[in-house]
Order: sequence, then structure tokens, then C-alpha cells
Amino acid sequence: MYVGQPIRRREDVRFLTGRGLFVDDVQMTQPIAHAAFLRSPHAHAKIRSIKTERARGLPGVLTVLTGADWVRQGHGEADGVWPVNDRSGKPARTVNRPFICVDNVVRCVGEIVAMVVAEDRHQALDACEAIEVDYEPLPANVVTAKALDAGTPLVHPKFGTNEVLETYHGNKAVVDEAFKKAHHITKLEVPTNRVTASPIEPRAYMGHYDPLNDRYTVWTTHQAPHIVRQYFTRSLHIPEHKLRVVAPDVGGGFGMKLYHYPEEPLVLWGAIETERPVKWTGTRSECLMGDTHARDHYTVGEMAFDKGGKILAMRFKTLAAFGAYESQWQASITNAYHFTMLSLAYDIPGIFTQVKGVYTNCTPVDAYRGAGRPETVYQVERLIENGAKEMGIDPFELRQKNAIPPEKIPYTTAIGITYDSGDPPELFRKMKKLCNYEALREEQKKLRAQGICMGIGICGFFDMAGAGPVKMMNDLGAKIGCYDVASVRVHPSGKITVFAGSHSHGQSHATTWTQIAADRLGIPIEDIELVEGDTDRVPFGIGTWGSRSLSTAGVAVAVAAGRVIEKAKKLAAHMLECAPSDLVIENGQFIVKGTDKKIAFAEVSNAAYHSGDRPKGLEIGLEETAFYDPTDCTYPSAVHLCVVIVDPETGHVKLRNYWSVDDVGRVINPMVFEGQVHGGCTQGIGQALMEECAYDPSSGQYLSGTFMDYAIPHATDIPMFGVESHVTLTPSNPLGAKGGGESGTIAAPACISNGVIDALYHFGIRQITQPMTPKKIWRAIQDAKAGR
Amino acid sequence: MYAFNYHRPASVAEAVKILKASSDGRCLAGGMSLIPTMKHRLSSSSDLIDLNGIKELSYIRREGDQLVIGALARHVEIADSAEVKKSIPALAALAGGVGDPQVRNRGTFCGSLCFADPAADCPAGLVGLNGTVITDKRRIAADQFFEGLYETALEKGEIVTGVSFPIPEKAGWAKFANLASRYAIVAVMVAKTGGTARVAVTGAKASVFRVAEMEAALAKNFSAAALDGIKVSSAGMNGDLHGDPDYRANLVSVMAKRAVQAS
Repeated sequence: MYVGQPIRRREDVRFLTGRGLFVDDVQMTQPIAHAAFLRSPHAHAKIRSIKTERARGLPGVLTVLTGADWVRQGHGEADGVWPVNDRSGKPARTVNRPFICVDNVVRCVGEIVAMVVAEDRHQALDACEAIEVDYEPLPANVVTAKALDAGTPLVHPKFGTNEVLETYHGNKAVVDEAFKKAHHITKLEVPTNRVTASPIEPRAYMGHYDPLNDRYTVWTTHQAPHIVRQYFTRSLHIPEHKLRVVAPDVGGGFGMKLYHYPEEPLVLWGAIETERPVKWTGTRSECLMGDTHARDHYTVGEMAFDKGGKILAMRFKTLAAFGAYESQWQASITNAYHFTMLSLAYDIPGIFTQVKGVYTNCTPVDAYRGAGRPETVYQVERLIENGAKEMGIDPFELRQKNAIPPEKIPYTTAIGITYDSGDPPELFRKMKKLCNYEALREEQKKLRAQGICMGIGICGFFDMAGAGPVKMMNDLGAKIGCYDVASVRVHPSGKITVFAGSHSHGQSHATTWTQIAADRLGIPIEDIELVEGDTDRVPFGIGTWGSRSLSTAGVAVAVAAGRVIEKAKKLAAHMLECAPSDLVIENGQFIVKGTDKKIAFAEVSNAAYHSGDRPKGLEIGLEETAFYDPTDCTYPSAVHLCVVIVDPETGHVKLRNYWSVDDVGRVINPMVFEGQVHGGCTQGIGQALMEECAYDPSSGQYLSGTFMDYAIPHATDIPMFGVESHVTLTPSNPLGAKGGGESGTIAAPACISNGVIDALYHFGIRQITQPMTPKKIWRAIQDAKAGR
Repeated sequence: MYAFNYHRPASVAEAVKILKASSDGRCLAGGMSLIPTMKHRLSSSSDLIDLNGIKELSYIRREGDQLVIGALARHVEIADSAEVKKSIPALAALAGGVGDPQVRNRGTFCGSLCFADPAADCPAGLVGLNGTVITDKRRIAADQFFEGLYETALEKGEIVTGVSFPIPEKAGWAKFANLASRYAIVAVMVAKTGGTARVAVTGAKASVFRVAEMEAALAKNFSAAALDGIKVSSAGMNGDLHGDPDYRANLVSVMAKRAVQAS
């Protein structure tokens, strides 16, 4: 059995020796031209004029294009894959993110105003500087909490408001009643900070047009190449059969590389115009500014408890920033992934939430690892933590008291989502033992007496992963079908190529998908290779996002492999003169049960392609494709706990310990799973302690445009993780797998925030917003000491 | 990056000649500050004079009562040098905390002095340890070297060849790093020599500065307790995403004490 083994990553040899093939590495026989983009330096401005003559005359310049050219040529838009849905009955106020400014108003810093294509990058940049744009700056609105206040500048004045949509969910009557009879109510502002994924590989695209065959090719840093093909039917009106999309090795996506970014159609447009391959590789600054940002919710919440600490109800009001425009998947957060999971790991009878999407003059917001659930867990867990403290109940105990008992699972939350499997009390019990909770509390007391501020942070949650099923996701607003696809092609020699519609940009599919296939086919893993990321080779696919690939594409691999074996058994039985049901597969052999009669898999596969002697009606060949639509989403769950030491003199937080107990269902490769938890937690630590896409509130200028100002965790900031599992299988797919890609980003921000507040509660500090940077913590301590 | 002429001279004399002949030339040592600003098109030079071919600038040695470090000595070499660890361990600590390993492998102490970034560590090392900058034509005392934000006393066509330090009785280094850049939000070098003490602060203002009140207190009693209650004014201090002036003023007091404790 390969499944369940910590097999070393088969893709690591090329990555660790610097021989991966990323978009920027792709070479062409024709010389590659380079695109550069002139971007708005203003958060909001009218463009009076654009003069490109001087730029056109510079050495090496092949073309200079603006929004006027885009409009004149009749090109299109990037419309929503997951468009907004307003429940209040008002029309949704959608403005899609433009590829290039087409209406002479720029609405965020970094919006593309013109594109230069030149022989080399430096010439293209020189030409960008030679374009003269006359801007008339307009007042900007970059503060989410104030987006709907009277007098706030409007991003799209035609709507008369910055509100994009309003949505609400839950059982309001139950909630209102519960608050009336509550013993204790905790109220808190719980905003989440605007962050961005910052993958190691910046976005990059190359476009090519072959006029002889009327064929287009796009190489792209993307998580879902078949979806890119669909995007191009709307942007450049290229039909899918004419376009090949290749997403080769991609250095991290985290949801952020799922969209039809402006530069993607623009490089292909440039290629069509110049009849040259045209490439753009983003600089770190372009990416920190132009990659979709994430989170940025302003939320106020209240939680009602009974005397014993049982949570009766909670209610929230959220302003969810969209940025200046709607990005293609934005509403997957507001309309699907945020409100749905509010019950976390707890049995809470009453939940009500109202969310208003708002426009601000900032980079568009879209999904980033966790997409909506980090916000959810943060807003609920902060209230639980403070509620427990205010009531004088141990916060671990209060959570255990409210954890959904296994006998109530399947459990339907007050929001209406049904958790199909899991055992939260067991996760808490395991965690208590793992971290030695009582000893930690003792240590905390001892250290506090010495003036050392130690804090313990806790959180528990359920995630919604594994999208689809198609119908459920359609009902939550998805315009694409959320299933996935795999083909298993057995070559005559018995070696196998697996094609999958998922895309690995760090997830290790070359290892884990072949582990699944090898077990199903009963052949060595070395005989199997995986192909992903090329629309000309892979039949179809929805791509990798939302911790979904294992329970969709991974299951499709298992299903297709199962069909291959079913067919191969018919042929093998014919060759061995037995019934297919008499056969078992072991080590690449079909064996007649209870006998020494056997035949090698490779002999059967050879016969499948080359033998005329086969059972009647059995088609030649040995290749199967599965389009797999699961019966439900998956619901991974987890409890995380951390220990922080806060330095009150400087405000610095040292994260001393971090433990997790995750239930992600079947684990294919424990090493890969642990890596997912480590990586996710690290990004969550960043969100909690340092990451922030910051804008100057008055000018709207973007302040975190380089890694000199946008802080991401260094290895030295990260503790050794203690990763544990408690497995319950999901009944929604035959592998029983739930997915574990997002647990860390979902849990860590809440967990660490609770830890920091726990460390500083005795100063009278009740809340510090994220990121909890040293200066903010120091200021909070000063304010608390001064009684402010 | 804008186009520029690249030179790789083999001697200081040749480097000076090229520098003087250029319309707007700059010297390149480690390039850990200069190259990123060039890549961002924030700085441009007609000529880049790469000093890395001048082998005699790569040294760290004791010369009598002075520790002398050549213009091409990398941070990592200073951090790992047995001579530096023995003579001025605080200087080794400073060098070992600059940037990240990649920066330390390439960047140089003298290059950092010439760049005069307000948040760089090395200027506080020079001033706190009362070092002397050695150029191709003169010696410049630490207190005269820095003239403001990115400004030094170097004249056009003058090349730093090294830096020398007297050996203090005691010295200590404490840095509170910016979580993003790992430059100093505030860092302090303290040193005691005879009856005098020096306290040099970087990261807090446009340029490195000394704190007279702390120096006087430490001259009498070189201990962290001697600094109790000494506050510095936040007037003129830097304010940015990572710290406002009040926070930086607080850190000056905190880091000065920790530097003394580290000495």
C-alpha cells in the first residue's frame, strides 16, 4: 500500500536542483518580446490625456497600447466565475476588474493605463516612462470601516453608494430571543487585516499567436488552466478549441493565482498585435500591489452566554471590502465561504450575520488560502475567548463545554450547513494532552509573577472544503461546475500516464495522485507518471483551490483507475480462462484466487492494444476517464493551540509553541499533510503578527509595495510545529478524504490573537487588531497603563 | 534598472581615476543596498565601479591598538572573525545581525557606511565604537562622517578603503529589527573606554546620533541601571508603518539598556 505512507516527493529532484520549468523559463524559437505596464500612481484619478508618441519612437519598442485600443478592437471583460448575489432584493452592483483602464478613470493604485511591448524588458520600461499621462487626482476611499459613511468618496458614482451587495443568513428570531435572556453578552470589534499571498514565484504570463494555424497559446502561473481557457472566450473572444493554456511548474498559488489578471490577456493581445511571443514576469512590487489582496473585513460581533458558559447565540455585522472592482471569484467569499462556517466546532443554537460588500479605492480582494474562514474563525473565537475570561471560566473548558458532541453528528448548524463527520470533543481531549494544558497554565502563573507575559491561545473549527458538489456550489453562486476529472492511460507496456484536471503548485500531486493510482492498479508507483497543467493534454479540469483537489481530482484518479482494472480484469479473465471475479491483483500480476495461475499486468495491457483474441464486445485499448462529482462538500475540523511570550517593553511577540490536532479524513501522505499544516500556519502567523497591505488613509497611497515594508515570517519567527491527527472518514467520497490545505491559515490568526490577548489581559487589554505588530502592542500596553 | 557603464578596476588608484572621470559614477562593493534601488529605478549612475577586483581591500586585522577592516570585508567575515570576536565582540554581534544570510554573505561594513541608510546597523557601529573611516586620501572621524539622510562627508571621487576601531574596554549591541526588512527600527551601540562612554543610535532619526545624557550617566556608572529614567525626546524621530516617533523614543531607552546588558 502506498496510501498512508510518507513517500518522498517525486517532484523534489527537479525543484531542489533548480531545474523546474516555470513560465519565465519557457523558451521559444522566435525571439521573445517583453511587455511592461504603465500603472496608475493614484488611488483615484481622472485621466485627462495619454500621450504615447514619444514612447513609440524609442529604441526596441514594438507597440504601445491603451484602453482606447482595447475598446476600439471590441475586446471584452473578465466576468465573475462566482458573481455577487444580493439577498436584500437590490440589484447587485457589479463592476468587473478591467484589464486596462477603458473609461479614463483609475480607481486604485496600480491599475494598468498602458502596455508597451519591446524587444527587451528595459526598453519596455524606458518606454513606459516616456508615456505622458495627465491625471486629475480625485479623493480616495481606502478605509473599509468608513466605506458606507456619508461623505466617503464613491468609487463608482453611478451607483450612488459604495455598497456592492447585502446578504444575511441565520435564524434571527432565535438569536434576538437568546440575547434577551442571556446571562452574559460579549461584544467586540473583530476586523481582519488586508493581506496578500506573496508566493515565491511572482505572476508571469507569455502569449503566442500562430497565424498559419490560427492557434493561440498562453503560458500562465495559474491554478486552473481550463478555467483560463474559459476566461479568454470572454476577454479576447478566443474560442476554446483555438487556445492552448499551459500552467507549467508554478511556485505557489494560495488561491491568488486563480484569476484572469489584467496582464494575462494583455500579453496575448500584445502577441497578436506584434506577431511575436510576448512575456511579462511580475516584479515583487508589481505583485504586492496587483495580486489580489485578501480578507479585509470590518466586523462587529456579539455573543450571548448562559450562566454556565454555554453559547446561546451570536450576531455579526460585516463590511467586506471588494476593493475598486469585483474580482472573478470574490463572491465565493461573501456569498459562500464566509458565513457558512460561523458555527465552527460548537453547538450554537442561534447565529445571525449581515454582510455588506463595499467598494474601496484599493486592489481588488479575492480568495486566499482559507477564503472567508480565517475571518469567520477569528471573529467567533475572539468572542469566545473574551467571553470566557469575562465570565471567569477557563477558556479551554468553555470550548469543550460547547463542542459539538459526536452523537449529534451529522450536525446541522444554525446557518444550515450539515457537518457529515468529525469528533470535536476528541480533538480537544487530544490537544489537552498534547500540550499538557494544566502545566502550561501553571507555568503562565509562575512567569507572570516574574513579570513575563506568557499567553495561551486556543481555537477550534470546522472547515468547508472539497468543492463541489456541482449542484450545491451552483446554489452557493458558482457559475462553474465544481467537480474534477482524471484519465488513466495504460500504455501497451503496462506503464501508466495519469492526466488530472487539478494543478500542483506545491501540493505534491506527482507523488500523492500516483500513490492513489498505484494502490488501485496494484502496480509500482515508479510505473506511473502524472500530467497536469496543459489543456491540450488533460481532458478537462476545474483546478486546484479550496482544499478540493484530493476529494475531487484525487478521487477521479481512483475512480478512473478502478474502471481500468475492471476492464483489464475482463481481458485477464479471458486470457486465464476464469471469471473476472476470480481475480485478485498483486504486485503487477492478475492471480486466480487460490491457484498459482497468473498473468502480468503488462501482458494484459499489451493484449488490450494488440491482441485480436479478446472477450466479445470488449473495446480495444485500456484508458478510462472519470468526471467525479462528490455527493457533498467535505468538513475537515481541527483544534489549534499556541503559546506566546510578549515582551512588554518592545511589544515583540515570540511564538514559543504551536500545536495542531487536525481531522482531515484519509491522509494520503502524512509528510505532505504535515507540510500543508506547517505552510498554512506560517501564513496564518504572518496574518496575525505582521502582514498588512497598508494604504495611507488620506492619500490612498499603497505603503507596503516591497518586502522592505510588507512583512512575511522568516524561518526564525516560526516555532517547531507539533502536528497531530485524529481521523474520521467522510462518507461523501470513496477515499474518505476531507482535505487539509487551509487548516493553518484558518486557525492560526485566531489562535495567536487569543494567545496575545491572554498574555496581556491582566493589563486590562481586551483587543488588539491584526496584525499585532510590536508598535501596536506597545501602544496598547501604554494606553492600558494610562487607563485609556 | 537604467543602463550604465560597468568597470572592474584592479587597484584603488585605477578605481579613483575611473570614478573621477565619470559624470555620475558610484562604487559597488556588496551592492546589497545599491542594486535593489537601481532595480527599482530609484537610483541611476552613469558608471558603476565594481571594487570586488581589488583584492587588497579584503582584510580584517589587528594593527597595534586598532582593529582595521577593509572595504571589501563582508558582514559574515566580520561576524565570524576570531580577531573581531576577541577585540570587539559587539562588532561581531552587529555584523551577525545585519539583514539575512544572503545579505551578510555579500554586503560589506564600509559599503553600508557609504550608503548611510538611516536604519542601517553599521553607522551605529562606527559612531558607537568611535571608529575612523579611511579613504584613498584621508581619515575621517566617526563623528564627522555622517551628514544626514543618505549623506556623508565623502567628496566626489573619494573612495573608502577601510575602517579602523580603537579597542573599547566594553561594548554592547542591541537591535530591534523591523519584521519586514530586518533593518533596525532602533538599534544601539554602547561602548566604554576609560572614563568615557558612547551611545550611538540608528533607525530612530534621519541619521545615526549620540545620546549625551546616557553617555554621561554611563561614564559614571556603566550599568543598565544607570540609564533608569533617562528618556529621549521623540521630536525629530522617524514615523512610518513600523513605528511612530513615541515608539522609537521608547525603544531607544529599552535598547540602550539591553546593549549595556549585552556588553
